[in-house]
Amino acid sequence: MNEILKLEHIQKYYGNGGNITKAIDDISFSVEKGGFIGIMGASGSGKTTLLNCISSIDTVSAGHIYLDGTDVTEIKEKELARFRRENLGFVFQDFNLLDTLTISENIALALTINKVPAAEIDIRVEEMAKTLSIADILNKYPFQVSGGQKQRCACARAIINKPKLILADEPTGALDSHSSQMLLSTIQSMNEQLGATILMVTHDAFTASYANRILFLKDGRIFTELLKGDNTRKVFFEKILNVLTMTGGGQTDVC
Amino acid sequence: MYAKLVFRNAKRSAKDYLVYIVTMTICVMLFYAFLSITSRYYNPGIGTEYDFTFVSDGMKMAICAVTLLLLFLIRYVNNYMLRRKQKEFAIQSVMGMEQRTVAWIFFAETFLMGVISIITGIFSGVFCSQFITGMLLSAYEQDYKLSWTFFPDTVILTICFFSLSFLAVGLLNVRTIRKIKIIDMLYADKQNDPHINRSRYMPVMAVLYTIFLIFVITVGISKMYFYSDPRFPVPVHIMFWGNIIAPATSFLLSVVWCIVRKKWSFNRYIFAAAVLSLVNTGFAASVPVIQSRYMLAGGAGTLNTYLLFLLVDVSFWICCIIYLAGNLLSEWKEKSPGCRYRGTNLFFFGQIISKLNTTSKTMTLICLTFVLSVFLFVAAPALTGWASGYLDIRSLYDVQISTRYNSVYDEADLPQDNYESVTDFLHEKDIAVAYDCTFSLYLPDREDFRKRAKLDFPIAAISLSDYNTLREMLGYEQISLNEGEFTTQWKTIATGEERNEFLSNHTVISTDMGTLDLAENACHLEVIGETVYNSYTDVLYVFPDSICSNLLSVMRNRYVKTETTIPYNEAVYLETSFSQKYPETPDNGNGVQYYIRTSTQQINSSIAGSFILQATMIYSAVVLMVICLTILSLQQLLDAAHYKYRFGVLRRLGADRHETELLILKQLAVWFGLPVTIAAFVSVIVTAYFFKTISAQISAYIGIGALLTQVGAIVCILVLLLICYFISTWILFRKAVTE
Repeated sequence: MNEILKLEHIQKYYGNGGNITKAIDDISFSVEKGGFIGIMGASGSGKTTLLNCISSIDTVSAGHIYLDGTDVTEIKEKELARFRRENLGFVFQDFNLLDTLTISENIALALTINKVPAAEIDIRVEEMAKTLSIADILNKYPFQVSGGQKQRCACARAIINKPKLILADEPTGALDSHSSQMLLSTIQSMNEQLGATILMVTHDAFTASYANRILFLKDGRIFTELLKGDNTRKVFFEKILNVLTMTGGGQTDVC
Repeated sequence: MYAKLVFRNAKRSAKDYLVYIVTMTICVMLFYAFLSITSRYYNPGIGTEYDFTFVSDGMKMAICAVTLLLLFLIRYVNNYMLRRKQKEFAIQSVMGMEQRTVAWIFFAETFLMGVISIITGIFSGVFCSQFITGMLLSAYEQDYKLSWTFFPDTVILTICFFSLSFLAVGLLNVRTIRKIKIIDMLYADKQNDPHINRSRYMPVMAVLYTIFLIFVITVGISKMYFYSDPRFPVPVHIMFWGNIIAPATSFLLSVVWCIVRKKWSFNRYIFAAAVLSLVNTGFAASVPVIQSRYMLAGGAGTLNTYLLFLLVDVSFWICCIIYLAGNLLSEWKEKSPGCRYRGTNLFFFGQIISKLNTTSKTMTLICLTFVLSVFLFVAAPALTGWASGYLDIRSLYDVQISTRYNSVYDEADLPQDNYESVTDFLHEKDIAVAYDCTFSLYLPDREDFRKRAKLDFPIAAISLSDYNTLREMLGYEQISLNEGEFTTQWKTIATGEERNEFLSNHTVISTDMGTLDLAENACHLEVIGETVYNSYTDVLYVFPDSICSNLLSVMRNRYVKTETTIPYNEAVYLETSFSQKYPETPDNGNGVQYYIRTSTQQINSSIAGSFILQATMIYSAVVLMVICLTILSLQQLLDAAHYKYRFGVLRRLGADRHETELLILKQLAVWFGLPVTIAAFVSVIVTAYFFKTISAQISAYIGIGALLTQVGAIVCILVLLLICYFISTWILFRKAVTE
């Protein structure tokens, strides 16, 4: 098995003395290279905290996170920025695009920060734009395109450096259903055709059904895990709903 | 309960209000400090021979007029606070508080902060006014004495002025808050620059400028009456036609662009318009120079009109340059991928271009304000130096009576009086006379009496004995002349070049009494007063007495030196009573213009006038500079919330801290640097032009070295002020973005 991400007994506490909140309480799991893993859970279950710890934006209280063999928790403060830009790609709910730059420049920014030679940049941006079907809007500004197009631009920016892991935090959260579907197809194709490893946090069952494996968090712990296996997406979606019903989220009025 | 909320809010957000309080305190401090010297309780001890009420009244009006500019700053700072606190207003509204109540709470908070600013401002003003008192006492050549300047009338005026200002601006804020939608307030800090597209500002400016050009062309053509005379030298014709053809070309450019605008981009048009506006500026600037060089009959009206054109042309040029800066940067970015894709340059260019595109109007205003402020700072010492230098030259005698024959057309009407009423007055007032000289000024050639064109005005002559009496009065050595010889006496303003040229062309002159040769000692430069020369001339002939006795006497002057200074009130009385008998205006019957000047009055009005000028110019310059730098600084701090988001994205993409901080510094350097550089460039040209225009007066009354030292000191202070503003903005901005 080719593990790209491995979490060992991760704990994250907030507060001190007798007033400690356990945001993450001893979580361990690993992700294979080329995997598409979803993390689900109700609000306050620790999804985003876990994502922040993996992405090195936040520090863990205990445990280790290994990304392609490198212990993220041991990387020095000065090295963190370089580690992030070389190994991780981000897709956020509110796109995180810069309104001052065109779509093409937003994508190119990720390359320039990584010091990619100037001659390569335009070619790579155009290639990526074609793959994600945003080639015709490259010269537009974010405020001139739709939410779905913005998020595809964010995806292009996340993957263009060929990171070892793409972290997506509620990527469909700000999109309508049609745009969500299109984006999820894009993310799926990124995973299947470009071989990107994706870790996606969501609380939407439909979005999660695009993943191959789902971890359900509850009160900072892994409550259960679902594998898509050979199931169709529809069956997998039903299974997800069942788990959510059991955990108390999702459809509360199931007969 | 609301009162409690206001106090708690104000206390909690004291840090947010720091910028507000500091700005307001500076405004109040400047206002109080300058206004305190106009208080009726102010007694700086300048001596009994001077009257200070003239200064007080003039200053009060000038300060109040300039302070109206501060209202603009107060409004801007209030807007800054309003935008900073929008999210808080949104939350209060969401909680169920009426928007009207939210608005009034904000009004109360800002008013409370305003009151604090007034109190601190007045106390700082008391200290700051010591500098103004120092300036005043040095103008009157008195020793500096510390004086307590806490005056009730000034305090009341300051409180009233600023309370009313805060009230007016506060009410405007209330109206604004009540109009904003809650949703807009809630997401105010998440808005990037929503419209990267250009505003309609520049097209509107271009249209206005085109309309203005029609006016310029019309004025140019209307001056044909004065300038289209073929006898004028070539530079006058170039100036005249240039002021018609250059604006006409600019106007044609606008018309042609309107027709072919689909083929020619707006940016190209603006570029061409900027170049032509510079040409227009050059021609407009040539008017005062050519007019004074060739003594043209345009008058002050023409000068003022062309100075206004100059101002509009320069303003339009600055608008164009700032507008084009964004485009030039965009084009350069597109053409150099190597630079564009280096490190975080893409982000940097994005920041700069978006800002330039959206704030070109503010940038232009800042530039213009900066230029005006620098000009006032630099011009103040030149003008006051000129005034005080000129005073030393013209107030040599305690009583100075002079005449002009410019409107006399009959020789029988020429003045022959001895002004005995002055003798009676001095005797009556028991003022002992040390020296007294009544003398005539003659025309070497009787025919010259008819010459009245400015360039043709004849040089007057004085008899040797009268000239020597004047020299004796002033403590100079006597001179002598041989029969058949003459010598010359020169004004300070005449240059060595002019003197040499004149003397080499006038080695022999012809008079009604025969020819005279230039004496060996041909030229005298001692200062003997300005009224001894004929109008529009800088030189006076000195002839032997035997020659003068047979020449036409055209002016009759009398100079008196007294043993003691004439008291101020007596001097005013003497001047008034003399003017009643010998009027200054030429329409008194025979056309002679009589002037009486007492040194007491001259010194008093000159010092007072130059002090008002100096204080008003410095006050205006400081106010404009504070407005300019505060807005420049606040503009960056206001955007810090947006930038926090943008820099956050950059960090998430993997840019390290060092790189982010460097970007912040670079960005602020451009925001401060661009308007300051353009303004400095324009200021240098404007100042150089101004100094060149008055270069004769500078070398005559101030001295180039002394003026340069003063200008250098001012520039150093301005640079220091700019650095202080830049550093404080940088610290606050960095904190806001990275915290």
